[in-house]
Amino acid sequence: MSELKQLAEFCAPAATVGVAAGVVAGILGSIAGQPFGTAVVTGLGLGVPLLLFGAGYAALMAFGKVPAGVFAPAAVYWVIAFPLALMAHAIVTEWAIAGSPGLPPEPWKFLAFRALISMGFAIGFLWMHEQLGRHWWPRILPHNRYARRTVEQYAHLAAALEARKAATGRGRKKRVA
Amino acid sequence: MDVTSKTSEVPDEPAAAAVTEKVWKAGRLEPMPIRKLPDAPPSIHILGPTVFLVALGVGMGESYMWPRLVLVFGPDIRWLFMVGVTLQAFVLLEMARYAMATGESIFFGAARIFKPLMWFFYVAAILIYMWPGHLSAGAAAFEEVTGIPWQITACVALVFVGVLFSLLSVIYNFLEKLLGLLIGFLVVGTSVIAAIVGSWDDLARTVSGMFAVGFFPQEAMTAAWFPVVVGSIAFAGPSGMQQMWYTLQLRDSGAGMGAHIPKIRGLRSAGEAESMPSRGFMFDTEDPAEMAKWKGWRKWVTFDALLLFWGITMLVTISFTVLAMSAARTNPNVASLIEGGDREAALKAMSDAFASAGSPILGTLFFAFIALIGLNATLGLFDSFSRGQADMTYYFVPGAKRFSMSRLYAGFLWGVIVFGILILLFGPADGPAGILDTLAFLSTFAMGAYCIVLLLVNNKLLPKKIRPGPVRNAIIGFGAVFYLGMLFYCLFRFGVAVG
Repeated sequence: MSELKQLAEFCAPAATVGVAAGVVAGILGSIAGQPFGTAVVTGLGLGVPLLLFGAGYAALMAFGKVPAGVFAPAAVYWVIAFPLALMAHAIVTEWAIAGSPGLPPEPWKFLAFRALISMGFAIGFLWMHEQLGRHWWPRILPHNRYARRTVEQYAHLAAALEARKAATGRGRKKRVA
Repeated sequence: MDVTSKTSEVPDEPAAAAVTEKVWKAGRLEPMPIRKLPDAPPSIHILGPTVFLVALGVGMGESYMWPRLVLVFGPDIRWLFMVGVTLQAFVLLEMARYAMATGESIFFGAARIFKPLMWFFYVAAILIYMWPGHLSAGAAAFEEVTGIPWQITACVALVFVGVLFSLLSVIYNFLEKLLGLLIGFLVVGTSVIAAIVGSWDDLARTVSGMFAVGFFPQEAMTAAWFPVVVGSIAFAGPSGMQQMWYTLQLRDSGAGMGAHIPKIRGLRSAGEAESMPSRGFMFDTEDPAEMAKWKGWRKWVTFDALLLFWGITMLVTISFTVLAMSAARTNPNVASLIEGGDREAALKAMSDAFASAGSPILGTLFFAFIALIGLNATLGLFDSFSRGQADMTYYFVPGAKRFSMSRLYAGFLWGVIVFGILILLFGPADGPAGILDTLAFLSTFAMGAYCIVLLLVNNKLLPKKIRPGPVRNAIIGFGAVFYLGMLFYCLFRFGVAVG
């Protein structure tokens, strides 16, 4: 499998988290009877940038630039990426409504506010990424070196869990039904 | 250290029978055998049993009660929320101390001190939590999105939870994963909505209000508002007995000495459940290697308490406050509805304001998140209630050991579900109007009471080396005075329990 394909495969959980907000927003908009076109454009306006940034974070992880499951690097990454994604969303929404793209009023304040909120997004992102990844990466492990490297980073955790299991096994007996 | 050698009379462990082993004498009940403490997991992974507390704690207090107070009294009132949640973070750490050191629930600890204490919690839990009122907010929000009447959604949700929990092999593992995903989604989604509709000024005012220590307006001292303020502080984060249930989730997650206790299984797999030991265990606190592992566990749970519990609770409530302020700015009618206290009308008005101000889908998304908060709380509450009652019944109701813990869990689960459906169809969902005040009183009283129980179990039942320090004790002592003091002040000054 080519390098790029492996990387794309590895990035799937992060991209899924990134796009979830946008896609769910679009679907809910359609259910609620909002104009379909507006719902789709708003959803894509947010979903696509978050997908790209999410995949970017996973790529950094794949190349060993950020450790797996650690909060601080994720917070630093999203403090930049999240406001930019929201800025893209604001521009696209303006485009869909007014007919021409435009920046929101007071763009610096706009970015600063989203940068602060990004802390929360980073926690949620990391959390969901780990939840999805722990099911996905072991599955692609045999042919994906990025997944292999990430799973190895969790090896210490696995060893600790193993030790707990061993301790649990002591002094137990099966219940006779 | 009060570790003595004795001939073990532990019936569940034949290998250990008739051999001399070290035990730790704690209170009046059976001593705890000494076992090895398992290694702590590294705290890099951000998942843990605290996810249950977050699911239970991030409820109407965060999404409605505090935004309401901010609109009435201004953002400076939020310093009281900060005090409430910080206090709860310390309670969490101290609950974890006993549970991880012994593998026993805090209820068992209370019984070791004085059995009637445990019976008080047993009865209070049934009285407070058998009413299905907590389902109404989430189900009503779902009705706004889909048009399905909320009683139908609530009844279907009840049966769904019952069937789901009965079919699962090991309930804890599944719920931890499910709630982890749902809360992750909630956090991501709330951040996105707040980022779209909020503004820098809203956030700056909300955050600076958290440090306006001492701010207490005259209007808050009136009979109309003081009980509401007290209730909101007590219900900031996990309220009532939710922190006590956390000790059971720690045990089932295998944290600390909980690793030596079998997990609760769903009804379908109850026959495969391993036998439950008749008490918890203790580790050798004189062994430096064991103490090093203990420090690892404390670090792990502190990480959980700070980032997951404190961080996420703060984040969600800040986001919802920003949302309420933004909605009130867009539509002044929202402010008067929220202040008036009609929850459903206020949530509907907030949703409309978002729909008209921001992207058209935001109104729907807002209700979807209220429904999600309701679902999280319901899943967590049913599991926790059944877990707590099964634990106390198994160990302390004569003859109950004939049934396995898993069967007792299923009994309580289905009991509360059937009662819930009957009440939803024929009775008042929150409980009879005549006892609402009593229930609110019991809920806050239980919080003061568990602070006292915590001080007693951690200082009297644990070996000296792992007891809390004076600062921690002072904080928990302050918690007891804070909850009970405010409750009785409210009662005697205004003649009502908390609002």
